Amino acid sequence: MKKLFSVLMVLMLLTGFVFASGAGEEATPSDPNTVKVALLCIGDENDQGYTYNFIRGRDEATEMLAAEGITVDWVTKYNIGEDATCTDANIEAAEEGCQIIINNSYGFEPFMLEVVDEYPDIEFISCTNCASAFDGRENTHNAFANIYEGRYIAGIVAGMKLQEMIDNGEIAPEEAIIGYVGAYSFAEVISGFTSYYLGAKSVCPSVTMKVSFVGSWSDATAESDAALALADQGCVMISQHSDNTTPATAAQQRGVYHTGYNNDMTGIAPNASLISTRIDWAIYFYEAIKAYVNGEEIPQDWCKGMAEGAVVMTPLNEAIAAPGTAEKIAEIEAALADGSLQVFDTSTFTVGGEPLTHAFALDTDGDFTADSEEAVYDGAFHESVFQSAPYFTVQIDGIEWLNAAY
Amino acid sequence: MATERTPLIRLAKRTEMKRSSMWMIRVGSILIALILGCLPMILTGNNPVSAYGVIIQGSLSRPVYLKQTIRTAIPLLGCALAIAPCFKMKFWNIGAEGQITMGAVAATYFALFWYNKIPHVPLLIIMAFTAAIAGGLWALIPAFFKAKFNTNETLFTLMMNYIAIGIVAWLQGGPWEGRKGSQLIPMFNDNARLPTVFGVNCGWIIALVLVVLMYIYMNKTKQGYEIAVVGDSVNTARYAGMNVGWIIMRTMFISGAISGIVGFIIVSGANFTLYSGVADGVGFTSITVAWLSQLNSFAMIVISMILAVLEKGSNTLQTRMSVPASIADIITGILLFCMLSCEFFINYKLIFRRKGNNKKERS
Repeated sequence: MKKLFSVLMVLMLLTGFVFASGAGEEATPSDPNTVKVALLCIGDENDQGYTYNFIRGRDEATEMLAAEGITVDWVTKYNIGEDATCTDANIEAAEEGCQIIINNSYGFEPFMLEVVDEYPDIEFISCTNCASAFDGRENTHNAFANIYEGRYIAGIVAGMKLQEMIDNGEIAPEEAIIGYVGAYSFAEVISGFTSYYLGAKSVCPSVTMKVSFVGSWSDATAESDAALALADQGCVMISQHSDNTTPATAAQQRGVYHTGYNNDMTGIAPNASLISTRIDWAIYFYEAIKAYVNGEEIPQDWCKGMAEGAVVMTPLNEAIAAPGTAEKIAEIEAALADGSLQVFDTSTFTVGGEPLTHAFALDTDGDFTADSEEAVYDGAFHESVFQSAPYFTVQIDGIEWLNAAY
Repeated sequence: MATERTPLIRLAKRTEMKRSSMWMIRVGSILIALILGCLPMILTGNNPVSAYGVIIQGSLSRPVYLKQTIRTAIPLLGCALAIAPCFKMKFWNIGAEGQITMGAVAATYFALFWYNKIPHVPLLIIMAFTAAIAGGLWALIPAFFKAKFNTNETLFTLMMNYIAIGIVAWLQGGPWEGRKGSQLIPMFNDNARLPTVFGVNCGWIIALVLVVLMYIYMNKTKQGYEIAVVGDSVNTARYAGMNVGWIIMRTMFISGAISGIVGFIIVSGANFTLYSGVADGVGFTSITVAWLSQLNSFAMIVISMILAVLEKGSNTLQTRMSVPASIADIITGILLFCMLSCEFFINYKLIFRRKGNNKKERS
């Protein structure tokens, strides 16, 4: 018995040694044209939405950089929580030799910032958030795109469809109601659905909107339930600011129309989904990584829009869209690019019956209420000018919040 | 006279077993687990030898990794200590998750609203103290109902977890929310953070002190003895004149208080903020720790470290070999399963049906 025991013990120690020496440590690449970049994701590509859109951006940027002789060695980590596991993931990526670490979710930033001072030579990027740009550190960065431009155009596509239905006598003018599935009553979401509504209203004056918040960025069932409930309350057009494709399938199920976010959803809801808008992260990844390799600064707060290709529309579902939509999209894209059209033109909406004359953009004293930088000037609210992350939080007339608890 | 076939395999309780054979079974089970664990890695096209290598390297090979591993082990150890007396008493407290969460809530309250009014050390002491009270009271509720009305403590403590988690979710989106709509409670001020000793938050010192205290409490005190008696037989305890209800409530309060302190260590030493997933399954994983270590405080140190190595190592496994997180979880599951089931073979032996002896008479 004793003999067998010692044999087993030795076996175990041996396997331990073999295992411990089995894997070689990876080091930071020494080739100056190779850069190791971590992408930390809140979901995985199976969401076919938010994280999938980042993966697409990653792959496109890799190709664009390869064409210029820059090799990117990606370390992608999926399904990270907006909690201390994010701190660990950042440490892990830094220790594994990543030179740039990209955090893809808003809620990652505070946990990322816990780590950054330990690794001053590593560049940390928090997409869609706003503290890194103003924290005085050189190695922390924010990035976002003017997604409100894309939403405005998606709103126009929706509005044209609604107007077509009114003109055909399918619905009365006051029945042109949009149902919007939002994640939280959060600046990014408010800015998004307001621009969408303004787009729709510019071509369908009688349109109104109901917003239902689901209390999660990604909850396929809740998103579907909210969309179904909105359709049952008379909404004939569904749109969404959430990560999944279930609002599109819900719209199809109820026989109403839909416009999406992050990904083309016409494939899974061909009779409902008209168009989607998404951020093309390849543009930013390409610029940031190229700047790093060339020894230049990665911008502290990067924000670009449709004119630069950072916000794109997915292919229009011509089979169900109103006639003339494609031409209208091209016209509006041009007007946004040359600055002749402002999405948040204060002459197009009211707040409590009054025009908007004042709103602050930035919070400087840390109480999470904006207190500086007047965003309303030259007849419009200027979104994403003072920081890349959206800061439009005004509740305008015509949009009904069904539940503000989130 | 009826005859009945003897079953192919019968179980019999082992009477006694040599220590060496006990350990042989344990070591053997780990070996089997390691071999079984190769299967999912081979199926996903990875070399199991290097995969295990990455787990060891990713958890122990660098000071940073070792620190992270220890940081993971601290709450597991602390919480295993907390539930040990309950399990000794055969009170199935699976509510440590909620007790940790409530402790964390109490600590967070002082961290958020009193950080600029109280100096560093007194603030931390207040946070720890209130966390212990909050966790203890949370545990006292099911204990009270068990003692008075003999309610089912397993279901009761489990349900209390979801209430606690719900409370935090409400605080996160409501009164304690930072930027509106963000669902994030702001990070703690430095004043409300545990200092580090040797690079790891000093929670490890608290946990080790608790190991010694719990060992003494369980083995050298009258209260520890009472817990053991209640665990063995409630009737014996009654006959001996013990107030069983009081013992249950007292033990659960102590258990909840330690879980509450674990919650304080997690928010103040590791996460620096509060969110609904603050306990992160520690309350359940620590049941495994307590069971594997046979409720022995010192063995818990080793077991919690092993589990922390697995957890941290499988994280690196994902990073380096792009193994999906679920594969790492499967390997951990196989290891735990083998380690727990080996205790079965230590307590029972298998008797196989022998030829010529497959009929037995029955009157």
